[in-house]
Amino acid sequence: MAKRVGIVGAAITPFRSRWYQKTYYELAQMATREAVADAAISIKDVDSVFYGIYNDIFERACIPESPLQGIIGLQNKFGIRVSNGGATGAYTLSAAHAYLAGERFKTALVLGVEKATDCFDFSSMSATPEVIKSIAWSGDSFFEQKIGWSASDSYAEVVLGYMDAYPGTLKPEVTARISSLLSEMARSNPYAQRQFDQVTPEEVMNSRYIVYPFKELEICVYSEGAAALILAEEETAKAISKNTGKPIIWITGLGEANEHSFAGKNQKDMSHIVSDYVGSRRAYEMAGIKDPTKTIQVVELHDAFVHQLEITLAEFGLVPYETVDSLIEDGLMLPGGKYLVNPCGGLTYCGHAVGASNIMSAWSARKELIDRKLKTAIVHGTGSTISQYTACAVLEHE
Amino acid sequence: MTSKKQKIIPDEFIPEVSSKVVTIDKQDYLLQNDAMFTFYQRTAGELSPFFLGIRDDRKLLGCKCTRCGLVRVPPMMTHCPDCDFAPTKLLEVGQVGVMNSTPPITYFATSMFADKAPFGRGRVILEGADTALSVMLYTTTGILVPGLIKKGTKVKVVFRNERVGQISDIFCVPASELTNEQAAKKGLLESEINWEAPKEPQFPKATEKDKADFKQSVKEMQALAVKMSQSKRARRAIEGWKRKIAVKTGAGELAMLIDDGNFKIEEKKLSSPDFVMACEDVKTLADGLMYKGSITDSIITKKLWISKNLEFNTIFKLDRLARFLVMEQKEKKAK
Repeated sequence: MAKRVGIVGAAITPFRSRWYQKTYYELAQMATREAVADAAISIKDVDSVFYGIYNDIFERACIPESPLQGIIGLQNKFGIRVSNGGATGAYTLSAAHAYLAGERFKTALVLGVEKATDCFDFSSMSATPEVIKSIAWSGDSFFEQKIGWSASDSYAEVVLGYMDAYPGTLKPEVTARISSLLSEMARSNPYAQRQFDQVTPEEVMNSRYIVYPFKELEICVYSEGAAALILAEEETAKAISKNTGKPIIWITGLGEANEHSFAGKNQKDMSHIVSDYVGSRRAYEMAGIKDPTKTIQVVELHDAFVHQLEITLAEFGLVPYETVDSLIEDGLMLPGGKYLVNPCGGLTYCGHAVGASNIMSAWSARKELIDRKLKTAIVHGTGSTISQYTACAVLEHE
Repeated sequence: MTSKKQKIIPDEFIPEVSSKVVTIDKQDYLLQNDAMFTFYQRTAGELSPFFLGIRDDRKLLGCKCTRCGLVRVPPMMTHCPDCDFAPTKLLEVGQVGVMNSTPPITYFATSMFADKAPFGRGRVILEGADTALSVMLYTTTGILVPGLIKKGTKVKVVFRNERVGQISDIFCVPASELTNEQAAKKGLLESEINWEAPKEPQFPKATEKDKADFKQSVKEMQALAVKMSQSKRARRAIEGWKRKIAVKTGAGELAMLIDDGNFKIEEKKLSSPDFVMACEDVKTLADGLMYKGSITDSIITKKLWISKNLEFNTIFKLDRLARFLVMEQKEKKAK
């Protein structure tokens, strides 16, 4: 029987569009310092580190985690890096859980960090075109990079595929309202990149197209920042919890799936995010959840794009595909509704420091479970071309 | 084959060795121009017949599983993973197909594709294939707009005149925009298509009221431009950028001048602008600058015309200028 594993400490740095003041060395150490402080342990008590860093180009080094081992005080300890596109953070959490459940270690640091906007395009004298180019090296190098593949256009393909299959869904008024709602959520998150950027649905609808059907205010923003969790196996977790007086948030379910990277018969079904469906079902099964609509209270999902947030919630089984807009139209995710979705503001307003993002989501879910005295949350990461990768974690308040 | 000599990295992307200092809270931080670069002589390996077929013979190949018969395009694998790795065989497929799903349209592209936007990219199931090939999509009628190409739309593969053996040697256009002969032709070249040239729109003669409204709008935009130039955040949207833009409307002309953070609007004609914008009613532009709708979308909906697609870059900066000013005002209010 695998050991139970819980989260006993967590911290994030402020997410910013640009940290001129810090390199990723310092961001990683900042989050680590705060996480061990939150767990009231010494870094010497941490047995292992699991790094979530997405993109070598962002950090400008091929094994960017190597300098971090000493900087975070884990010299001569176990360290491994996970890199799974946008799902990096969620996959990193999953990997750390496996090592602890398998009794390799008693404690683990899950550390995500990303420094995206050092990239700069000297032809347009702005960062964004170069940041998205750096991400575009993630597309298929033989068949897609050279014809303009980008993260946005590949996710837009899936969203349009869904709209082909379920016409009349993902209405512009609804996606605009969700974006506006997320911006309101971010207002109470002091770490959010866009804490003071509250937008109206009208502003969202008036914002420019970036990639059809995505408007500027329906897309996550690129960020720089770090996030860290302290995980511990059952006995150690209980001892740490007793010391801090903070409850353990147990990781009771994990599920992952990676789809085919190309579409067509026997390959990717463009009308669904099958990885979200399969990943969430595997996590529910492990957690013993029979009906997620009766169990899940908090959702911290990877909203790379607001339209994809809606599809992901449908793939999770929390809302029917055909009536996915009931998230807003029936108030399912409105304040006081059935689900608390992305209370941190999501990646759209808190920010998307890729390797750190899903770890930030876990930080937020833990905080909400404790502060609001709720029972169950799901944390999610999506990534790679056409939403190929998914990792989900079910978190439960003891 | 290509006769052009091109650099792998165009010169305009390569910065000089240089650095600058950014000061935040009286502390200096150093920023250095830098790059990661690696060059390749990369093999196309087992994919070589596919790319050589495009480059030399203007044909498209797929691979057919010898057991299940599934035809995959592109021919990504020599053995079928669905059939315990039974071998596949190469075969030629058609050059007309249907869209597997509605394709997105990129208006704001990565730095490498800024000169190609707006463009579509989607997946086409070619005649004889079971899987979808990722392709770039264009229309022969100007700027690609939503609704023109959808799931099920019949499209035709077109070959670039200059080919280098890469997937960018081909793209697709709606078959309905071609003659029957062009749609049926194998190896159709881009030079064989009648591309609609961009034409500057002409507007009806303005009334006196139109002229008075124009003057008023220009005044409002000039006042806004002053605010934008004074806003630290808004200035960032046009930092390091210089453009002289002639704006032609039904009721008069004006000049928009972007100069490294400074933004000015003058009621005058420019003799040699970097590009031209044209709209019947100047309010279309004024609304964009006032954050009441985007300039980008006005181009997509054809309320506003620009003489060079490449200048979408500048349009995005103008949209950002409007948004950054509003963001700064909101932040000040919230804090």
